[in-house]
Amino acid sequence: MKFSVNCLREFVDLPKNPEEIAELLTRAGIETKNIETRGANIDKVIVSQITASSRHPNADRLTVCEVDDGSSTKRQIVCGATNYKVSDKVPLALPGAKLPNGSEIRKSKLRGVESEGMLCSPIELGLGSDASGLLILSPDAEVGAPINDLFPADTILDVEITPNRGDLLSHFGLAREIAALSGKQLKAMPREAKIEIKKSGVTIAAPRECPFFSARKIENVKVRPSPQWLRAKIESVGIRSINNIVDISNFVMLELGQPTHAFDADKLKGNINVRLARDGEKFFALDGKTYSLKSDICVVADQERAIGIGGVMGGEETGVTDLTKNIFLESAYFLPVSVRRTARELNLPTDASYRFERGVDPNMILRASQRATELIRKVAGGTPAKEIMTAGKLPANSADVSLSYEKCDRVVGVSINSKTVDEILTYFGLKKTKSTSKGGTWKIPSYRRDLQRDVDLIEEIVRGYGIDKVSGTDRSRSSSSSAADRSHDLESSLRDQLVARGLLEVRTSKLISREAITLDEKAINLCNPLSEDHVALRPSLLPGLVSTLDRNVRAGVQRVAIFEIGRVFVPPAGNEERRLGLLVWGNVTSAPHWRLSEKQTTLEFFDLKGVIESLAIGNVSFRRIDRPDFALATEILSDDRVIGFAGQLSVARAAEIDVPGSVYFAELQADPLLEGQSAAKAFRDIERFPAVTRDIAMIVPEKLTHAEILRTIQEPAEPFLESVQLFDVFETQGGVITGAAGKSLAYRLTYRDKNRTLTNEEVTAADARIRERLKRELGVTLRE
Amino acid sequence: MHPLEQLRDDALREIEAASDEQALEATRIKYLGKSGSISAWGEQMKTLGKEERPVIGRLLNETRNAVTVAIEKRAEILRSQKESVALAGIDISLPGVTVPSAYSGYSGYSTRSIALTGYSGYLPLERGSRHPLTQMLQQSIQIFRRMGFSLADGPDIEDEWHCFDALNTPPDHPARNEQDTFYLPDGRLLRTHTSTVQIRAMESAPPPLRVIAPGAAYRRDEIDATHSAQFHQIEGLYVDENVSVADLKGALEFFLRELFGPETDVQFRPHYFPFTEPSLEVYMRSKALKGGERWIEVAGCGMVHPAVFEAVNKARSDKAYDAEKWSGYAFGLGMDRLAMILFDIPDIRLFAQNDLRFLRQFA
Repeated sequence: MKFSVNCLREFVDLPKNPEEIAELLTRAGIETKNIETRGANIDKVIVSQITASSRHPNADRLTVCEVDDGSSTKRQIVCGATNYKVSDKVPLALPGAKLPNGSEIRKSKLRGVESEGMLCSPIELGLGSDASGLLILSPDAEVGAPINDLFPADTILDVEITPNRGDLLSHFGLAREIAALSGKQLKAMPREAKIEIKKSGVTIAAPRECPFFSARKIENVKVRPSPQWLRAKIESVGIRSINNIVDISNFVMLELGQPTHAFDADKLKGNINVRLARDGEKFFALDGKTYSLKSDICVVADQERAIGIGGVMGGEETGVTDLTKNIFLESAYFLPVSVRRTARELNLPTDASYRFERGVDPNMILRASQRATELIRKVAGGTPAKEIMTAGKLPANSADVSLSYEKCDRVVGVSINSKTVDEILTYFGLKKTKSTSKGGTWKIPSYRRDLQRDVDLIEEIVRGYGIDKVSGTDRSRSSSSSAADRSHDLESSLRDQLVARGLLEVRTSKLISREAITLDEKAINLCNPLSEDHVALRPSLLPGLVSTLDRNVRAGVQRVAIFEIGRVFVPPAGNEERRLGLLVWGNVTSAPHWRLSEKQTTLEFFDLKGVIESLAIGNVSFRRIDRPDFALATEILSDDRVIGFAGQLSVARAAEIDVPGSVYFAELQADPLLEGQSAAKAFRDIERFPAVTRDIAMIVPEKLTHAEILRTIQEPAEPFLESVQLFDVFETQGGVITGAAGKSLAYRLTYRDKNRTLTNEEVTAADARIRERLKRELGVTLRE
Repeated sequence: MHPLEQLRDDALREIEAASDEQALEATRIKYLGKSGSISAWGEQMKTLGKEERPVIGRLLNETRNAVTVAIEKRAEILRSQKESVALAGIDISLPGVTVPSAYSGYSGYSTRSIALTGYSGYLPLERGSRHPLTQMLQQSIQIFRRMGFSLADGPDIEDEWHCFDALNTPPDHPARNEQDTFYLPDGRLLRTHTSTVQIRAMESAPPPLRVIAPGAAYRRDEIDATHSAQFHQIEGLYVDENVSVADLKGALEFFLRELFGPETDVQFRPHYFPFTEPSLEVYMRSKALKGGERWIEVAGCGMVHPAVFEAVNKARSDKAYDAEKWSGYAFGLGMDRLAMILFDIPDIRLFAQNDLRFLRQFA
């Protein structure tokens, strides 16, 4: 909210430098976001009145004005603006005036015509950004008066008020806080005149939503534009001037924090009643829109219809217009939660609802009504009724709160002198009603409904005492590791392994775009997305990795090898599952290198498979499946459990995202991988005796897989066979072998015994058994 | 039937019958090529009368479009067929490329002629990296672990109770900003802060409790250089006997000075959160950082509000968290913000874009 330093000064003495005020507030938790200077501070610019205007003899775009500057002689001014009429009052810069933009005004001739000064636009005076024409002043402005009187220099503080501090949403309220924080005296408010209270004329049928309502009739007012001082005051904090009555209502709200509303009394039919709306009741509001109300909305009504939504907005039909003669001034208390619900349901947040939903000061309701009445009488004339009509009861004050000094010290962590504690609370407006050596009971002021428990008081003590005076202490303690700790550590080591393999970790958004959903049709949609980029929860890591690929290919990279570890949301229930996603695409290296052949080879399925096999999962195997959008699709199994998917995106799909070449993607459940990571490690003897190797090369039918050959070699087990490595595959593209029916594979078999050196005969015998088995069971042709 | 329609039907039939890309290309040339039969009709148009020309013109366009579309479709089918045939021959049980095999073709320094031709499996020789946010999180977790915090966890999809009510933010509370919350069709929501884990941790264990919970949170907010729909926090909670504001200050000052260096200035300012009382905001500045003269907000924190303990007790149906016996502090640190400060990253959106040139800077 914006505050005028001039207005604050009316209630409390302030430091000269606004930065100091800002610092004081900010350190007490009332953050000042911006400081802005406003108003004119220019000598030799005065109010003038245009008395005649004629065309410039030598220039089509200029006019020659005759103006009254308050002295007996008229001045002649050449002017380029067209937005004025004769008799308008406008600012006149006299010769010698220095404008904020640095230019100095002189007597001069413009196209041969004498000009004794310059008529000014708002921007030329530093009063806003309007450069379209002259600044037309209020008809009330006194000709010859310095412009500084009309636009007094002011500083505007933009302050962030937290939702618990509705009491700070007014100049008086903020001044009261500043007084408490700086130990200054709050200046008295304008004296309250005695007034008769009449418990009739208004009724409340919704006492929960509106516990208290008041109205005062003021007759024979003259509605017209506001005087300059009033306009300047409300405009300086960003409120548009409407007319004197509405402006006064707004001014009082800004000054005291209590919203009031003026109705055109002659348009009301019978007595006022505050009631709940009828379901579907139509309401034509001041903003020109018609709202359909629900039965939980509180309205101010006459005998025929709703004339206002309680605490939110008045009605258009009963609003004050230029023709209004008699007004009816409302000042009331509306229940915060009810106002908030209404403003939200109707999507109609207003300055009034903002204050009511944060709670207004019950003690300010009648005072604000009187302040507004007094100002209306002064500015718009009119005769206020002798009495004010009220209904209902003001909400009770908060209950008293007890505080023990010991608890305060315990929560803050330093010992604060009990006298200091009492002083701080007293500054904030609390009154000690019961005092003991250990603490006391405090009466809460009507405007601080947020103070309900001892900790709320402790917060005020911290604010008043100064958080800087509380030194930090070390309260470390040991705690044993949790399941989350172990899981985090395993995830870290999994991540390190992948990084060590040259993969880059990415972190993509868990919210995916509408486009991306097509990749995985069953994503959980958000009810209220804000943009097309974030409409659903990712059901897998595929969309994020693919869009990362897309972005980087566009940026011109030659190689993408990335992984992500993160949560996905499995439809329909949205179970959260941690997954590992892998994506490889493009060249084997991101840049050419002298040690590599000039012709770049591209990453392929077996590169992806190699990464997966290197992760600690026992007995991993792959099985072909069908999956839309994938030209090659395999399930990843650990023993017999499916733990993931690996495949190659179909050309059509890859073309859709404009990526040339083959895209390889895999996604695995993270938990089995982490279990594998956590498997206990144990020492086993390092081999002491030499190994013997034998190679077997064979030509096998096209369809025969490596897995089958391997199984045939390994089962039944040869006791000395330690390991089997496939070291050669002869195959042209498409799997066709030149000059032979099938493909050629070569394996290296390693034999070893733990306790002795093997003899050549033993190895040859074992090797022969395996060769025989391969021929017999698989029908392979061995190449000798 | 108009001869053009006849032509179209013939073309579509031939396209359908094309069994490979060459055949398809031949068909395309036959009909749509420079001297193709459909193209020829374009020439013929000139000879037509005024009456006939628009009618035939439209027909010609339709024919050309129909044939073009059919060719594209067929080409895609043929491509994917070819792809499937090619991939069907692959023996997926062949071993993947692992580190040792990458070196198998290496034969020592010599001349260029023996430089690793057809060499695959260069993968491990590229430099990998952890995402900068991961680095930030891991570094932060390490510091908190040195102070004796253990990790806790909670779901991203939450119910209103854990996200608002239990955190002393009842319906119609001004701080309960449904406008800024993403909702799911079943009424649940995406947590707007990791403070939900405070509740989850206290529900599952009695005091004393000393945990941190790193995680994602979501806000329905306009996206710009400092706001994203999904962001990352570390939540902290310490409940014990006599936990004080001074302890909270000590912990966060230690954390920030460990992270940003001993010269880091840390300032606490009173603030308001419904679930802590007193509430504080934490600001820091450090001359060691770029633009280090400015105070930057990095965390919200405070003493756990007694109403939060009461809500937890209700959920636990016991009195484990007795506000007279136990007190606690809680904090939420913005990880994206901290990473932006530490690495001098100007725009929060860079984290989720994953430009490899960005990621490599943190290798």
